[in-house]
Amino acid sequence: MTSPTTPPLSAERLLRLSIRDLEWRDAVTGDLREEFAELTRRRGVAVARQWYWRQSLALTARFAAGRVIPAVTPRRRTGVAELEAMSLGSGWVREFRHAWRALWQRPGLSAVIIGTLALALAANAVIFNLADALYLRPFRFAEVDRLVVIASDTSSDKPYFDRESVAPADFQDWTRVATSVRELVALEWWDPTYSGVERPEQVHGFRVSPAYFATMRVQPLLGRTFTAAEGRPEANRTVVLSHAFWQRRFGGDPTVLGKTLRLGGAPHVVVGVMPPRFAVPYGAEVWAPLGYDEAGWAERRRGFLMTFGRLAESQTLESARAEMAALAARQSTEFPETNRLRKVTLVSFSRGLGDDAVGPFVAIWQAAAALLLMIACANIANLLLARGTERQPEFAIRLALGAGRTRLALQLLIEGLCLAALGVIAGTGLAAVAIRFSRDFLPPTVVRFVPGYEFIRLDLATTAAVAAFGAAATVIFSLVPALQASRAAASGALLGGTRASTAPPGRQWMRSLLAGAQVALTLALVVASALILGAVNRAANGATGFDKRNLITARLTLPEGPYADAQRRRTFSARVLETIRALPSVTDAAVISALPYTNLAASRTLFLDGQPADDATPRTVDLQRTTPEYFSALRIPLVAGRNLSDGDGPEAPRVALVSQKLAEEYWPAQDPIGRRFRLEKDGDWVTVVGVVGDVLQDWFTGKRLPTVYRPLGQDPTFSMTFVARTSGDPLLLADAVRRAVTAADPDQPIENLATMDDVIRAKVTGIDYFARVLTVMSGLALVLALTGMYSLMSYLSARRTKEIGLRLALGATRQQVMWLTANRAGRITAGGVLAGVALATMLSRVMQSALFGLVSPSAAVLVGAVALLTAVTMAAGYVPARRAARQDPWVALRTE
Amino acid sequence: MKPTPYVGEFEYAVLLAVMHVETDAYAVPVRAVLEERTGRPVARGALYTALERLEAKGCVRSRMGDPTPERGGKARRYFNVTPLGVKALKAMHASLASLSKGLEAVLEQP
Repeated sequence: MTSPTTPPLSAERLLRLSIRDLEWRDAVTGDLREEFAELTRRRGVAVARQWYWRQSLALTARFAAGRVIPAVTPRRRTGVAELEAMSLGSGWVREFRHAWRALWQRPGLSAVIIGTLALALAANAVIFNLADALYLRPFRFAEVDRLVVIASDTSSDKPYFDRESVAPADFQDWTRVATSVRELVALEWWDPTYSGVERPEQVHGFRVSPAYFATMRVQPLLGRTFTAAEGRPEANRTVVLSHAFWQRRFGGDPTVLGKTLRLGGAPHVVVGVMPPRFAVPYGAEVWAPLGYDEAGWAERRRGFLMTFGRLAESQTLESARAEMAALAARQSTEFPETNRLRKVTLVSFSRGLGDDAVGPFVAIWQAAAALLLMIACANIANLLLARGTERQPEFAIRLALGAGRTRLALQLLIEGLCLAALGVIAGTGLAAVAIRFSRDFLPPTVVRFVPGYEFIRLDLATTAAVAAFGAAATVIFSLVPALQASRAAASGALLGGTRASTAPPGRQWMRSLLAGAQVALTLALVVASALILGAVNRAANGATGFDKRNLITARLTLPEGPYADAQRRRTFSARVLETIRALPSVTDAAVISALPYTNLAASRTLFLDGQPADDATPRTVDLQRTTPEYFSALRIPLVAGRNLSDGDGPEAPRVALVSQKLAEEYWPAQDPIGRRFRLEKDGDWVTVVGVVGDVLQDWFTGKRLPTVYRPLGQDPTFSMTFVARTSGDPLLLADAVRRAVTAADPDQPIENLATMDDVIRAKVTGIDYFARVLTVMSGLALVLALTGMYSLMSYLSARRTKEIGLRLALGATRQQVMWLTANRAGRITAGGVLAGVALATMLSRVMQSALFGLVSPSAAVLVGAVALLTAVTMAAGYVPARRAARQDPWVALRTE
Repeated sequence: MKPTPYVGEFEYAVLLAVMHVETDAYAVPVRAVLEERTGRPVARGALYTALERLEAKGCVRSRMGDPTPERGGKARRYFNVTPLGVKALKAMHASLASLSKGLEAVLEQP
């Protein structure tokens, strides 16, 4: 006999699910397996599998229908209690059937309601998913909730959380003393060049404390992590690879262990590979041990380490914060010179590694999604109210026949549930598409810096949330009609029948309120998204202080090993510049240490000649190193003095240009030319030779920071960006620029080759994404408000058909009749707009403070939004009004 | 004393088939006997339904066998006819016989 073949397992699983009795489950599936094996022997696997599917489906259908094998327990005689339970059960079924029929009576109305609900639920699903993935749970590995990020705050002029701020000596102190946070590890950015191979590239990575992976509670997939001995200078030439990097560069070859890679110009031995999806932090591809010597760890002045730790047993974030604050206070008295202004911030891992702006963004998104759901609920409630009025006679008859009022209310609630169930199904489908879209919309360049990006997908949590939102919405939108129905008067409605020309005033008031609320909520949303869009536009296209058009830029970092000698860095940049300048369409070419807008410029403290240093308010400036042609390439004006020149070489006197802002701030109403300053306490004196225009260095704060430009020749940096102005399309030069770099050093990769336009655009991607999502939502809200107003107005004028006919017959003009309906639409709009203006003003204030002053309330935007809302709602009211006025009075009078 | 249960036509056939298989009657051979003797296809679901009902009426008794590898580790459910089942068979037989009495001329025509 051949070895037993397995039948289609999914078919079997399905079948097993449908049989409740365990013994029967085994007996039936066993029988099928036996016959399957026999059939396989006789007719082959393919036939047998087909047969198995047919049989199991037929059996599943039979068992699932509950016709067979009903209960494990032996049957008892049916008692009274069971009879009652049964009747209740069938009662529920009846209720649902009844509700179903009621919905089918007005398929159009039901479709509108389901569609509205689906749209609002899908929007909420997308936002829920984004919030969950990007903000609430961006990291999903073991015990991540006990991990914390610790940072030092030195100055309050940065509005965001600076996580690379811990001084090595402070870190050492904490490791020794802190008890509430243990297993502290330090990290330093390390994006080395991977060279010595055919395609050299810049890889993303970190130098970390040897215990890093232990603190993160991850085990390597292959090999090992670092030993304590490797955390020493010269011993730290080992590297652990990420799964993605291992797959990409080595095709998942397990023999990679022990291989030597040239990273940052130095050989590193591969000791381990991490499991898939561990790329913490920031899409890390390689990790190597930190290797400071005694002196390195004693550094207390500069803070640049990222620090992670684990909360000790029974400690909370708050207790750890208290201990760290006390520690910081002690350090500040012990080392007043360096630590006097330093405070310690301790946040959860998710918060610490996420973008600071994500929190407020997500909060505003969620507020917007909630508003949208409320608008949808108001809309649906209004439609159901209208429908309820239409069904008065039906309710009256049921009441007269002895149905309880609770029963009627329950009936409406069940109808609402049916609608919601369909809405949830449609909404989930829509959400799947929308989430996919919102994921693909994020450009690949920023994905590395979006923790939780991989969790943007329709998952179980999101589906459950949609269902929960749907259930909540049902309660909201069916409550009003249910209450209305339970108050229905049997006799009145029966007598009046459908002839009751208008609903009682109370109910009309409720409807107008709902419609007005929609207008108000929509107005607030429209204003919010317009403000954000304005901010994005300002950030991308606003005044920058330079001409961003027709510029190609290439950023790279020279490896420290081979380029340790400053002269080699000078030669490299000079050679590349020479080649680029020779290109036909290039008009100017220069090198700058950090492009404006990128936020990469180095900060220094300025010590002025003849002015005492004030420790309380250190004079922080941005330090740039550049070549003379930079200012003509970016069209930054020279305001006073002379430009840098090629003569400002290493042997020449130390000189610098300063930005206008710096000159005004430190030498107000004086001639800055010829003044001297130092960039370090005991550094060389530098003489100011010229003043140049201000440039926006950091788009986020929008501040024009005081900036010092030193000649690259006197202070050559490792990290540099080549900039060239061209007469044509800058992208056409991309290949030529790449070749220029390769010609100077074939091992040197380019980190980022892009036009200046793209550099700026990449910077505003996050907020742009945020703004677009919000805009889509306010667009949806506008559509919902429009349909809401339209359906209410058409309903109301339809209800008043007879009255309008009478008025027309008695000589009212069409204008007067139109006024009847339009007047009402106008009043609702006016009320809604008034409330909306108040709401929008409040919301824009909240946004202003939550988004770091990025947006500011604008009267023009508010006026525009009011005009838009008024136009839209009045248009929605106008169409039904005109229809009412156009009708033939005779026909109108005879309608029931 | 339990009243003699009434069995339907298909259940009657299933009872007879179980008796034919004698020892170790489980669904697969029972169905084979049914199809062979009646010449009609028998749906598996219908057979399981009938067996379950017969057991509920007390006409058959079942026990679980040992799991075997060719069944994917699932046990067989063996059936045998109880005295009550035999009684029900006899009753059915008797009523059919009494009903057909006097119709032999029609029924026994080829």
